[in-house]
This record gives sequence, C-alpha cells and structure tokens, in this order.
Amino acid sequence: MHMADALVSTPVALTAGVAAASLLGIAGYKVNREKNVNSKIIPLMGVLGAFIFAAQMINFTIPGTGSSGHIIGGILLAAFLGPWAAFLTLSSVLIIQCLIFADGGLLALGCNIINMAAMSTLVAYPLIFRPIAGQGSSAGRLIAASLLACLVGIELGACAVTLETELSGITALPTSYFLALMTGIHLAIGIGEGLATAAILVFVAKSRPDLLATSGQFGSLSNKNLKKLLWGFGLAAVLLGGGLAFFASEYPDGLEWSIQKITGSTELESSSSSIAGSLEKVQSATSIMPDYDNNLAGIIGAAMVVILVWAVTSLLLRNRGRKEEMNENKQ
Amino acid sequence: MSKLEKAYLQLTSAAYNTMPGAPDSRVCILVTVLYLCLLLSVPLDHLSQIIWFALYPVITSAIIGIRYSKIFIASLFIIPLLALIGIFNPIFDTRPLFRIGNIVISNGWVTFTSIIFRGLFALQSVLILIRAVSFEGLCRGLRRLGIPAFLTDQLLFVFRYISVLLMETITVRRAIDSRGYGKKHLPIRLWGRIVGQLFIRTLDRADKIHQAMLARGFSGTLPEGYGVRSKLNSSDLIFLIGWSGALILMRVYNISALLFHN
Repeated sequence: MHMADALVSTPVALTAGVAAASLLGIAGYKVNREKNVNSKIIPLMGVLGAFIFAAQMINFTIPGTGSSGHIIGGILLAAFLGPWAAFLTLSSVLIIQCLIFADGGLLALGCNIINMAAMSTLVAYPLIFRPIAGQGSSAGRLIAASLLACLVGIELGACAVTLETELSGITALPTSYFLALMTGIHLAIGIGEGLATAAILVFVAKSRPDLLATSGQFGSLSNKNLKKLLWGFGLAAVLLGGGLAFFASEYPDGLEWSIQKITGSTELESSSSSIAGSLEKVQSATSIMPDYDNNLAGIIGAAMVVILVWAVTSLLLRNRGRKEEMNENKQ
Repeated sequence: MSKLEKAYLQLTSAAYNTMPGAPDSRVCILVTVLYLCLLLSVPLDHLSQIIWFALYPVITSAIIGIRYSKIFIASLFIIPLLALIGIFNPIFDTRPLFRIGNIVISNGWVTFTSIIFRGLFALQSVLILIRAVSFEGLCRGLRRLGIPAFLTDQLLFVFRYISVLLMETITVRRAIDSRGYGKKHLPIRLWGRIVGQLFIRTLDRADKIHQAMLARGFSGTLPEGYGVRSKLNSSDLIFLIGWSGALILMRVYNISALLFHN
C-alpha cells in the first residue's frame, strides 16, 4: 500500500503532509505527557518499531489461498502502546522504510502515514478493537477484534489511496474500477493481517497475560453489547455490499455521478474553485508555451541534453578517481 | 542472499557512511524536498519538462562523488510498481498526440512515460540524499531544521534496534529453514507462536535498554552528538541557492520550448 512519489501531485502530497504532521504533533504531545509518568515508553516504542520491521521479514501462509503475507502491525502496536504512541512508532517505521528501503516516496510520506498508520491506530483501534477486545482475556474476543479492526483499518487505507491518486489526477482508470480493485485486493490482505495480529495477541495473552493486563489499553464492552455490535457490523456489510453492487450496476462511475449531482458536471477540474482548477490556472500562467509540450522534438532534445550531462559527469568522476589513485600511489 | 540479510546490509551501509563531498545535511534535505515539490507539480503531459528534472540527480550525484549509473540501477526496481498504476492510462486515454513515422503516440502513452520518469527521478533524489548524509546525519539535520526531538529520537531508536532485531530474526529464519523440510512459509498458528516469542523477548529487551539508559542519565531526549556543523559554509550556500534557482527556473519555464521550439 506504500504510495510512490510518482502517484501523487504536489498539492495532494502537501495537504496530506500537513495533516500527518499535525497528527504527529498531537502524538508527540501525548507521548511527552506519558513520558513524564513512565519514561519506559521511549525505548519501548523504539524497540517495538524495530520488532514490527523484523517481523515483516517472516512470512506466513494465508489460509485457503496458498499465497503468503506479512504483518503490518498497526493494531498490534496500538494494543500494547495505545493509539498515539503506536501512531508515532508506525510513522517512524514508515519513514525508515521510505528512506532506507525506498518503500514509498518522500513527498508521499504524509499520504502513507495517513493511509497506513492513522487509519489503523487512530480509527480502527479505538473505534473497533478496543470495544470488542474488552479486557483482552478471552481468545475469541481477541480474534474477533483483531480481524475486524485490521480489516476496517486496511480497507480505509485502500479507499484513501484511491482518493489520493484520483485527486492527484494520475490515473485514467475510472474511480469505481480503481476503488473496486483496491478494496478487493486489500480484503485478503486485511484478513491475513487480522489473523496474524490475533495469532500474536492470543499467544501473548496465554504465555504472558501480565503484558496485556498492565498495558491497560483495552476498554470494555459487555457480551450483550458486543453481540449487538457484531450483528450491526454483519448487517452493515450485507447492506453495503448489496447497495454498492446495485449502485455500481446502475451508475458505472459512482463518484462521478455524485460529483455531477453536486456540481452539475462530471469533471471536477472544470470547477474553478477546486484545487486542481486553481493549479491548472497557475500552471498555464507560469508556462510560457503550454501547448508546446506535445512536441516530440522537445522530448528528444531534453533527453539528449540529460544523457550528455550524464556522460560528462561520468568522465569527470572517472578522472577524479584516477587522480586520487595516482596521489595515493605517490604517497 | 536472503531478504533478511540484504535488509541488514542495506541498513548498516546507510547508518553512518557519509560522502565527503556532500553539502550540509540541512541543505541536502531542503533541496531534495524542493526538488520533489517542483517535479511532482509538473503536469503529466509535459513529458519534455519532466525529463529536464533528470539533471538534478545526474549532477548532484557527480558533485558528491557517487556514480549516477549506480543510483540509476538502484532505482529501477520501482518501475513495475509504477507501471501497474500507469498502464491504465494508454488503455483509457487514447487521444492521439503526435506521430513517429506511421505510429501514432497517444496522450495515454505520454502520461504513462511521465509517471515512470518522475517516479524514477523522485526515488533517485531520495537515494542520493541518504547516500550523501547517512540516516544518522539526516536525523540530526532534521532536528536542526526544527523538527521536534520526539520524532527524530524515535527515528534513531527504531533505526538502531532494527539491526539488532534483524540479527535475531536471521537466527529465527535459519532455525525455521533448517527444521522446516523445505517449507518456505509458516502456517499462521505456528507463525504466531514463533513471532510471539520474538515479541516477548523484544519487550524484555526494552526493559533492559530502559534500565541501561537510566543508568547513563537519560533525561528524556537523546544528546545532539558530536561533529555537527553549526554554520553553513559558502559551498553549502552555493549548492542551496544554485539548485533552488535552477529548479524553480526548470519548473516555471519549459526549457525544451525555449531551445527546441520550431
């Protein structure tokens, strides 16, 4: 789900970056407050972040599919650290993945932090995991909570990826197809993530129940209310599935239809008040010959200059290397 | 080499190795962010303008003393990921744009190529940044630029312990491989037990680290470290002003239009 820089435009990346930075600021404030009471939180966050990274290197078989997957770890981290500390930890893992392993772009970091860290730790964990898991003593509750929370967190992330790519104007793929593709793929990933999170939580609850109990992060929901919640989820899933199928058949592009209802046009760009519209104005104002870009000669010319500069710099570097070698030999 | 060992090598090489010719880390961070903002703001159908942005990775890698071919090869792995999203453009956007002989090139193919190029250049600029200043230098640079210590400290903590835990995971992986009779992946319950064990050991390790940190007078934030330049020198300023000016010009004017317009 890591988005590369090429898949976002500057306004979308910067907006998501500001949102992610604000959330990181709140997380920093909350963690700083906790640090004054319990300074262990700092090394704990660091080591658990590293654990998530290492655990991602051991794959498990996704039941019934024959393929393999690895853990993402948002809900797992939140279960031990609480939502804000988990958000900060997972964000730092994403930043390291971007900088060292080139997983996701630097400017797209805001998007990736929102899609992968915020959706699971700040949305799915407090709203779904915590009420269902209760005190964390029952394996059944832990499994149900992990499965639902991971599924919802990852699907929300997939929806956010679709929205950000579409707002950036990168793909010509219609929104409804893109959304169906993304949510379909991430359904399997969400189930795999849920099972993996549950497997670790159940193991820790059995072998070291003190770790779960002392974390004190689980809220509680009575069995009666839990049943109501699960029924509610089931009903919502059926209605949403059925509704979406009807909607998709009736209107091939649901988002475009919604935009037409609101703005009277299917083209979001045509609205002068939209970000893309204003950006287009800036682009046409700053570009000397906007129509020129359709010229093949320009593309070839630019490519030739780049190749020439590359050749010259390579030669210079080679000469510099030789000179350094000669100097070393003289010494 | 396994995925784990490869990750371990990548980590250790990115840890502290800086390039002697590299400018100050603050300057490198600022120029890279500006480069990405300007590159990603170029519309996808302005392919010729996007190609000019290749000059930044080509020239900067030469300035700091890294072969561009190495950076170029290291960035190639991103192409399949970009192609996966970009390939829908030639299918859905078939407006003809220009002709090469008898072949008509559609707008979709031009935007597809733009996605690949801007993805490659963006990745190359980040690869150059990390090779130039190292991860440690980058975190210190971020802190000097005003990023709060809670984030940079957290990054340094995670980064330091990743290598420790990767070593432990390599041992676990070897044990799985040698007893697994050729099975590559684990069933989920067994995976839960093995990774759960690793998790409990990690929590215990956090306890020990915390005790050791307290014993050494940890007060809540990491010290800034030695050898950090406080002032920018003239070559740093030339790099910052030169590239900022050049990149803004590249974005505002389409150089291809100025040079090759017929």
